Amino acid sequence: MEKVLNKEVKHVIDSHPEVGRILEEYGIGCAPCSVGSCLMKDVVGIHNLDPQQEATLMYRIEKAIYPDRKVPEPKVDLTKKQAPKKITYSPPVKKLVDEHVLIKRLLALIPAITDHVQMSAKVDKDLILNCVDFIRTYADKYHHMKEEDILFKYVDEKAEIIQIMYKDHDTGRNHVRQAVEGAEKGNKAQIKEHLLGYKDLLTQHIKKEDEILYPWIDRQLSTTQVGEMFRKCNEADASVGDALPRKYEKFIVELEKKFLQEVKK
Amino acid sequence: MSGCPGSRTIDFSEKEGQEGSESGKRPSQLRQWPIQMHLVSPQAPYFQGKDVLLAADCTAFSLGDFHKDYLKGKSIGIACPKLDSDQEVYIEKIKSLIDDAKINTLTVMIMQVPCCFGLAQIAKEGAEKASRKIPVKQVVVGLEGNVLSEEWL
Repeated sequence: MEKVLNKEVKHVIDSHPEVGRILEEYGIGCAPCSVGSCLMKDVVGIHNLDPQQEATLMYRIEKAIYPDRKVPEPKVDLTKKQAPKKITYSPPVKKLVDEHVLIKRLLALIPAITDHVQMSAKVDKDLILNCVDFIRTYADKYHHMKEEDILFKYVDEKAEIIQIMYKDHDTGRNHVRQAVEGAEKGNKAQIKEHLLGYKDLLTQHIKKEDEILYPWIDRQLSTTQVGEMFRKCNEADASVGDALPRKYEKFIVELEKKFLQEVKK
Repeated sequence: MSGCPGSRTIDFSEKEGQEGSESGKRPSQLRQWPIQMHLVSPQAPYFQGKDVLLAADCTAFSLGDFHKDYLKGKSIGIACPKLDSDQEVYIEKIKSLIDDAKINTLTVMIMQVPCCFGLAQIAKEGAEKASRKIPVKQVVVGLEGNVLSEEWL
């Protein structure tokens, strides 16, 4: 079993699809992950299951992989701290979660925006470039840079889950480049493909961060580190000024007025 | 069993299974004097840039591992929101700790009895009056020395 725990989760699920279904039952959605390079042991550890759940999960996985093996009953380490019932965040992490809300508001509008592009006689280049400006400045520079320059520095940056986050950021940047290229060429299909690609990527990315990564990082932070991180995030925000988040919130409100009304029509 | 929960008589001397580890000595984690909120000065060097614990008087007697788990690495101010007078001074001192001593974090530790939540309120008011913003955590201790909750406010 030790060997299995040190294997990449995708490899384990590919050879034993039942493991993917079992993980799904415990709220661990690794099966559809396109990367899947996290080690099995990290996948289980990072989800902070309570000891009884973790022991039962491991028992079921072992039985799924080795059906003929006489697997011992789950050993439960009751000294391990119970998982909190609801997710709570430290103040600096909560700020990052709150920033996700504005990004998710743009993501929710992307299907309406791509429909609008498809139906228009001429590509509204300004619309696409304004959305790209939001993504590059608010989502990437203002938000992702705080993750990369501050938050991720408090954990092992070589950890698979962090590497996956970096990879998501890069894939997102590539989608944006492609969408810009589509806007420049007036290529509607290219715009649609890459804006929707960005939406799907970021939707999953934010969900992983809000539900798995951020709580995992928060559990490792000392009180002193929470204070330090809060100060560093505030300094980073002060360096760009209050006007930047206000400007992009206004942009989203105006975009919602335009596209939510179009959806209602 | 009526009256104020903060002063109601409860005897749990017969409680079993609470032996813990008796081996070794636990050194004090206190690194300053004075500690009472009326006596401490926000200008004291031991507050500058530090993580500060604002503890209700009873918490240190209730929690078996108060020094090891909560005092270690922090500066402290203690107070009783039920019995202390001139508590508006505490609000100003907390404001000054945040703005002048530029403390890193504030952890307010209270007992579960309703009157003790007054100390959390004092901490919140002091933090709200300060122009700097810092993370504030609340830890609630049960009457039998168990930590009931620990959350960032």
